[in-house]
Amino acid sequence: MTRRPAPSKADARDRLRRVLFLVPYAVRHPGIPVRDLARKCGVSEKQLLEDLDFLLGVGCPPFAPDDFLDLYVEGDRVYVALHQSFSRPPRFTESEAASLAAAARALGGEGRERVVRVLRDSVPRDRREMFEELLGRIYAGSPPAKDSLLGKLQRAIAERRAVRLRHYTASRDAESERIVHPYTLAQRLGHWYLYGLDEGRERALPFRLDRIRECEVTDQRFDAPSASELSGARLFSEARGTPVRIRLGRQAAAWALARPGQLQVVKRDSKGGAVVDVAGVSEEWATRFALSFGGDAEVVGPAPARRHFAEAVRRALGRYG
Amino acid sequence: MQKAERLLDLAAFLLRAAEPVSWREIQEQFPEDYGRSSSDAAIRKFERDKAELLELGIPVRYVAGDEDLGAGYLVDREDFYLPDLKLAPEDLALLYMAGSAALAQGAFPYARDLAHALNKLSFAARAPGASEAAAEAAQHLSSDEAVAGAEQGEVAHKLELLSQAVAARKRVHLVYAGAERRVRTERDVDPYGLYQAGGAWFLAGHCHLREDLRTFHLRRIVSLEVNPAAPRTPDFKTRKDFSIAELATREPWEYRVHAPVRCRVRLDDPVGPEVRDSFGPRGRWGVDRHGTVVELEATNAEALMRHVLSFAERAEILAPRGLRKKAAAALRSLARGSA
Repeated sequence: MTRRPAPSKADARDRLRRVLFLVPYAVRHPGIPVRDLARKCGVSEKQLLEDLDFLLGVGCPPFAPDDFLDLYVEGDRVYVALHQSFSRPPRFTESEAASLAAAARALGGEGRERVVRVLRDSVPRDRREMFEELLGRIYAGSPPAKDSLLGKLQRAIAERRAVRLRHYTASRDAESERIVHPYTLAQRLGHWYLYGLDEGRERALPFRLDRIRECEVTDQRFDAPSASELSGARLFSEARGTPVRIRLGRQAAAWALARPGQLQVVKRDSKGGAVVDVAGVSEEWATRFALSFGGDAEVVGPAPARRHFAEAVRRALGRYG
Repeated sequence: MQKAERLLDLAAFLLRAAEPVSWREIQEQFPEDYGRSSSDAAIRKFERDKAELLELGIPVRYVAGDEDLGAGYLVDREDFYLPDLKLAPEDLALLYMAGSAALAQGAFPYARDLAHALNKLSFAARAPGASEAAAEAAQHLSSDEAVAGAEQGEVAHKLELLSQAVAARKRVHLVYAGAERRVRTERDVDPYGLYQAGGAWFLAGHCHLREDLRTFHLRRIVSLEVNPAAPRTPDFKTRKDFSIAELATREPWEYRVHAPVRCRVRLDDPVGPEVRDSFGPRGRWGVDRHGTVVELEATNAEALMRHVLSFAERAEILAPRGLRKKAAAALRSLARGSA
């Protein structure tokens, strides 16, 4: 079994890191509800109250009454008086900065190397070398589009400006132009999407970044979407329709099942092969997916998908005549 | 005094001090912690605490005295507090969305640190503007319950252990199930780095079983143990010519399986930009009478064959002849319905 680290030491460290953020944050947001502060710190309300309890005992020599943290919870709200020592959180540790920098490099944008430099400078001086070392050890992915396109989208999102897009839709093999209110960028199953309100269709939609052919930031400002609009949003709706069934040989199964994806295993055979269902995909997609295993996978159903696959195989074979 | 409390008290004390604080003064102020035990044990305890504070981002250092100041410990405030990063709005948006989407994946190196870093970002700019809302939406939209199952939790846990091992340069012992899924091997690996490709995480490092650089799919690591001996002493040096980006951006046909062979592939026109990109940046493009031709050097030609087959009738392998035959044979076997 994979060993887990002893919890007690990690817990103490985690608590310290949390309170070094929690104190200045609560100072800056007087009367913040316990629930909101807990969510911000990524802990349960119970744990947050324990953290606050812990903080009540924290002082500073000579431990006179004024040397303790001035903190109280009234109703369900937290109040912390400005503290001499903990008015701001500490600088980034090298692993905090390196992790964030690796994520930034994987998304990309015109500011990509700028933010890496800023992150480096925000690490304590004698840890900067270690930051460089760590960042050189993580590669979180290649940017999904050109820096110039990402830069425009990031600016439009930050300034809440509408963008004019020319976008390619693979399922219809067609390009279209739309005005979009860009809300955010999000990532699913290895692809990045712009998520925003399509003015023409009057609803929020995802646009795959690598299929945006052109983008122009307009002068038109838009209102922020409501919290409820965003919290209910999904990149994809539930996959509908009959799933396509694919039989995978042993090697294909080993590859396919190690990738994140929407494969539903129907059955596995004793030799290591598997039968899987994939919901919400086109016959074209299923054919290409099965063929990408180089002969070790085939579409088996339903009948139209099987026909589509068999036809594609026949025509491809024709090229090798 | 509890350790967490002692560390925080010590940090508060040193931050508030106007001048370096002598060891004697620290002992006086923390008599229960550093005052009672023999002097060597007390110093060792203090040194351990100091190291932990450093890891938390609290730079405690010792300054030798001079004519004006006595010798002692201090926390340089300038070097402690997170400054205003003065980021342009679009750069702040970049950081917020990249970090939030990464965190939402459920598995990312130093994921806990990443969560702390994102929190701290709210102090890094005067007005986060639309970025914080965009980040929340990014996190919400990027998380996927269907994917974030038990297996993703396992990957996250392995990533955490391996991130620590990479940072501390500690050797790891792996039980690994190869792609064939039949053979399990055990080996020691010097973990050089971690990369993501196609939505999956890989470990790259020097494998002591093969005595060469190897990559390992995290989902195929059955179990792993980080060398527990001397946690603060590195076990190895990373090879000088190692580049994680170079490894991570290899196309599957560039994995080292055999000697390089030149391959040619023909594609039907028009060839869209997505198709062109799918052959990577090292393809050389041209045209012949029948369509667009791309030339590539492959060290794992079968992977190229699989990629070409995925375009069905819109692409074919021209050379080498052996690979062309292999593709035809694979299609023939599929046509017979015997996959």
